[in-house]
Amino acid sequence: MVKRSVIVSSAVLALVLVAAGCGGGKKNTSTAPSGGGAKGGTLLTLANDAFSGSPDPQVNYTLQEWQLLIMTHDGLVAFKRVSGPGGTKLVPDLAESIPKPTNGGKTWTFKLRSGIKFSNGQALTGNDVKATFERIFKIGDSPNAGSWYNGIVGGDACVKTPKTCSLSQGIVVNGSTIAFHLTKGDPEFLDKLAMPFAFILPASTPTKNVSIPPPGTGPYKWAQYAPSKQARLTRNTFFKEWSKDAQPAGNPDEIVQKFGLTPTAEVTQVENGQADWMFDPVPSDRQGEISTKYASQVHINPLTETEYFALNTRVPPFNNLKARQAVNYATDRNALVKIFGGPKLATPTCQVLPPNFPGYKPYCPYTKNAGSGKWTAPDMAKAKQLVAASGTKGARVKVNTLTTDPQKSWGNYFVSLLNQLGYKATLQALSPSLQYPYVQNSSHKVPFAWSDWYQDYPAASDFLNILLGCGSFHPNSNSSPNIAEFCDKGIQAKMDNALKLGITDQTAANDLWAEVDKEVTDQAPWVALMNTKYLNFVSKRVKGFQFSPQWYFMLDQASVK
Amino acid sequence: MAEFAYEPEPEVRLAAGEQIQDIAGKSPWRLAGRRLLRNRIAIGSLVLFVLIVAVSFAAPLYAHHLAHTDAFNSNVSGTTVVNGKRVDVIQQGSGKLGLGETPIGATWHWNYLFGADAQGRDVMARVLYGGRASLEIGIGSALICCAIALVLAMIAGFFRGWTDSILSRLMDLIWAFPVYLLAIALATVLLTKENGLQWGPIHVDPSSLWVPTMIIAVVYVPYVYRPVRGQVLSAREKEYVEAAISQGASNLRLMFSEILPNVLSTVIVLLPLMIATTVLTEAALSFLGIGVKDPKASWGTIINDGQGLLYTRPLVAIVPGIMIVLTVLSLNVLGDGVRDALDPRAKVRVGK
Amino acid sequence: MGAFIIRRLIGLVVVLFFISVLTFLIFFATPGVDPSRQLAGRNPSHDTVLAIKHEFGLDRPLPIRYALMMKRLFISRDLVSYGNQALKVVPAITSATPVTFSLVIGAAVLWVFFSILLGLLAVVFKGTVIDPLLMILALIGISMPVFWLGEMANLLTQDRLHNTFLFSWVPPLGYTPLTQNPWQWFLHLLIPWITLSVLYVGFYARVLRGNLLDIQSEDYVRTARAKGLSPRRVLLKHMLRTSLITFVSLFGLDFGVLVGGGALLTEVVFGLPGVGKLTYDSLVNLDLPVIMATVLYGAFFITIMSALVDILYARLDPRIRPA
Repeated sequence: MVKRSVIVSSAVLALVLVAAGCGGGKKNTSTAPSGGGAKGGTLLTLANDAFSGSPDPQVNYTLQEWQLLIMTHDGLVAFKRVSGPGGTKLVPDLAESIPKPTNGGKTWTFKLRSGIKFSNGQALTGNDVKATFERIFKIGDSPNAGSWYNGIVGGDACVKTPKTCSLSQGIVVNGSTIAFHLTKGDPEFLDKLAMPFAFILPASTPTKNVSIPPPGTGPYKWAQYAPSKQARLTRNTFFKEWSKDAQPAGNPDEIVQKFGLTPTAEVTQVENGQADWMFDPVPSDRQGEISTKYASQVHINPLTETEYFALNTRVPPFNNLKARQAVNYATDRNALVKIFGGPKLATPTCQVLPPNFPGYKPYCPYTKNAGSGKWTAPDMAKAKQLVAASGTKGARVKVNTLTTDPQKSWGNYFVSLLNQLGYKATLQALSPSLQYPYVQNSSHKVPFAWSDWYQDYPAASDFLNILLGCGSFHPNSNSSPNIAEFCDKGIQAKMDNALKLGITDQTAANDLWAEVDKEVTDQAPWVALMNTKYLNFVSKRVKGFQFSPQWYFMLDQASVK
Repeated sequence: MAEFAYEPEPEVRLAAGEQIQDIAGKSPWRLAGRRLLRNRIAIGSLVLFVLIVAVSFAAPLYAHHLAHTDAFNSNVSGTTVVNGKRVDVIQQGSGKLGLGETPIGATWHWNYLFGADAQGRDVMARVLYGGRASLEIGIGSALICCAIALVLAMIAGFFRGWTDSILSRLMDLIWAFPVYLLAIALATVLLTKENGLQWGPIHVDPSSLWVPTMIIAVVYVPYVYRPVRGQVLSAREKEYVEAAISQGASNLRLMFSEILPNVLSTVIVLLPLMIATTVLTEAALSFLGIGVKDPKASWGTIINDGQGLLYTRPLVAIVPGIMIVLTVLSLNVLGDGVRDALDPRAKVRVGK
Repeated sequence: MGAFIIRRLIGLVVVLFFISVLTFLIFFATPGVDPSRQLAGRNPSHDTVLAIKHEFGLDRPLPIRYALMMKRLFISRDLVSYGNQALKVVPAITSATPVTFSLVIGAAVLWVFFSILLGLLAVVFKGTVIDPLLMILALIGISMPVFWLGEMANLLTQDRLHNTFLFSWVPPLGYTPLTQNPWQWFLHLLIPWITLSVLYVGFYARVLRGNLLDIQSEDYVRTARAKGLSPRRVLLKHMLRTSLITFVSLFGLDFGVLVGGGALLTEVVFGLPGVGKLTYDSLVNLDLPVIMATVLYGAFFITIMSALVDILYARLDPRIRPA
């Protein structure tokens, strides 16, 4: 997914994501007992804005809402609710166990657990499951209906005629047995079932966008969602814990997220103990303060995300491979990390996949003394050589970025750099609400644009295929995530192979993905900048902070009493 | 009763310390000039203002010869010498966790006098360079605004009726206009068009300072218009104006000779105050993308930059703020002096 | 008077109409703006965007979209934000209004009181050191950007000096309705009131001082003095009224803007959920429905204040007839 939902609105806010071991980080890598803390109290969290877009669980694509939805709803399977690498594994949630697919990977048969109730007292049945998936199509604006869930038999037809969607062929319900039939094998099908789009809702949920998430099966329920005020979750009295790994009981009695304060005001409130946690990044001029006076309340965790500038491979001057490689060699990634907040908060990278991700093998050719896979220093001499060889010197380049920091400062850095290399560069800073659709549209011919990507789920294709696959480039559309407009037939064939291989042998597939990552990096459609870390700041009274690699701070596993 | 009989205003007014011989036979403008020159406080503030302007124009000299710093290029990884030691311009936090990158603070030497900003650039050098843009936009837009507002207010207040209604509703429209939306839209348009906009004969160059100047000037016209119109309405009702109209005096002559002097004083008070407002509005517009763009500077953009450093390097926002205060202060005092020179309200009256 | 009211009401409707059309056109003239893409949220598939475009009537011609929006805003009042579909625009504005009113009216009381006081003091003490001193204070106030001043206030009262006796009474940022807890309402608003009024006191004090000095030697002032009235009575009863014309003109303009959501940055910095904050968020997110609603809301108050000020002129200077 793209950057997190918070649109930075203050004049200068540094996006600071820090990944380093937090105080006591070593303890968090094991499966710490969940829900082991004291129960009760209200966990008060702060966020600058409400979650953007519709709050409907099958539409909303923001981490901000997802962090709350995992506590109120469940899917057939779930990412294990622990911190550390264990949190990327899938465990059965509403299903009793994770089946092996049959029929050449096209059929998945689940047995639904019994005795589970929604927060309105209704019992969960197989019907609810089928209705949930049909609703993904029926509501018409679920973002991934046509890309993730159309593999279910009948899905493509549903995309075309959503109102009359029927998945009776694709999802066969037999009492508590539910069989999913796909049109072809999909190694990522289970991941997609674990995402909030596929969290099970009551069959009676209306088939248009709701203004507050409907009843769910999780330990909490949505009591209030007022976008200019707050969101409030209270305990679901019908919840009985059935799997600590998938959906542990929560500690606080109530979880509130108040909207409307600036991030710097949020820092002050957490410092004063007037709030427990802030969703937004800590502004850079407060970081020193919290790391000296409140160090024990700071947790720094790695993220699986990449910051990059896309080089448009179809528009001069960067339709020339040498020019693209030149910029990669010239970029001083340390300076960019410094702008971001320093080496504790981000690590330079040259490649697409982030560390600790399936298919990741460290690779960095664009540095002095290449070979170790780590970036160490820029190579300006080589860069200038390549620019001369490319014949693109003197070309005009618009550096497209956000109007907010650190992206704006990164943009300024690149304007300077490109001018040094002999180009004629100018800054084109757009407001966050405009920039992302703007740079995706090929008719704007943007040669050099900032973007970032956070994982949806742990699969290499989520980065490589979505951002650099031929099928992700839609000309003249505001919705074309392949910003670099990159399409290499040979590399695409390898990606397709890897996807196919994943059905049977994910390990071998990941090796193939690592090769894809390497080959793509050599083609330099991006200047990859860094992988950032998440800086979490909690109040003094918060105990049991746990950070899942999938959902980040697990709010209900902390305790405030 | 004889004691309350109307007494005509004496033709002549004297400033403190003047004798009737001093002013005999001299034109009003020359008189005003003389009075101004003798007002030491006003001259002092004029000198201060000229100093501010001079120093802003001397920015390149400062940057190259005194400070030896670059005010425009990013210097994130750079180093400099402070007290004989070489240090990073932007330093990593020293706390247990080593978080936060903070630019150096004031060195109180020519090199990074007031410290560096988040890009590692010399604040003082930028403040000096920024003076040019702020003074141009700030003073330019204030002057244009007051001129337009004065003319329109005189027309509206003098002729009243439909003229007044239409002009005043137009002013309401301008005052209620979503300027920030226009700024965002215009900024985006200018950004995405290669060579600026073409509206008939008018060519809008994206980096021209005329864009923010004109926008700010027009936006504040209602603010000067309304009080001046009020004064015009008030002055128009004076007995001698009615008398002059009944005698057949032409409108234009009346507006200039009777109305204008009365309202000019209000405009002179408003003008320097408006400069503070226009400079700050320029900061907001630059933030939205209209006007001074990175890496160029204006006092407003430096204040914007300073917002993100408030808790660690507050000087970055304070120094340009002080420049604004000094400019506005000097112009206000000068304005007072000019008003006094044009029409001194002395306690001394000739003949009484 | 009746004719005056009718004239101004027509003027109000005309202004609102033009403003709404201009806002609409400016929004859609912005390159890169795509409401259907906005509504589709993050990372929608291409077909989703097209489906939304059709469902929300965004593929119809501009005048029809304008008419639809006006209908949803005024008649059926179910206009929904583009950026957040759970946000209904009209209820959001009505619940934000009391907050803005509380902030602006309180600040206005403060700034009117103090600027008249300072203006009078500057005139009475003209020639001594007090006059320039007051002037310097006043000018410092108007040269400070509101965002900076507010953040500085927070830095001191919420952070650095929060635990001292000076500011420990300052509640956390936010708003408490008057009806819920009047004392907390007051405490929450005190620092914002002071911050907002500091920006205006200087301007108004200078203007008042200027006007008072101007009319010192007017006929009616000399008449009053000749009648034997004390200087203070002359000052307060006779001079102040006519010298308030400029003061009142400016006040009408500033108050109208502020009450109409112009105190954006003050509300943002102090976490007050008023119309200003709504305006600010809508501009950041380029959220047309909310932009349109806040712009019209603001235009309404501005035009009303303009009419009220014209009526006030007639009271201050009986020679002036209402326009």
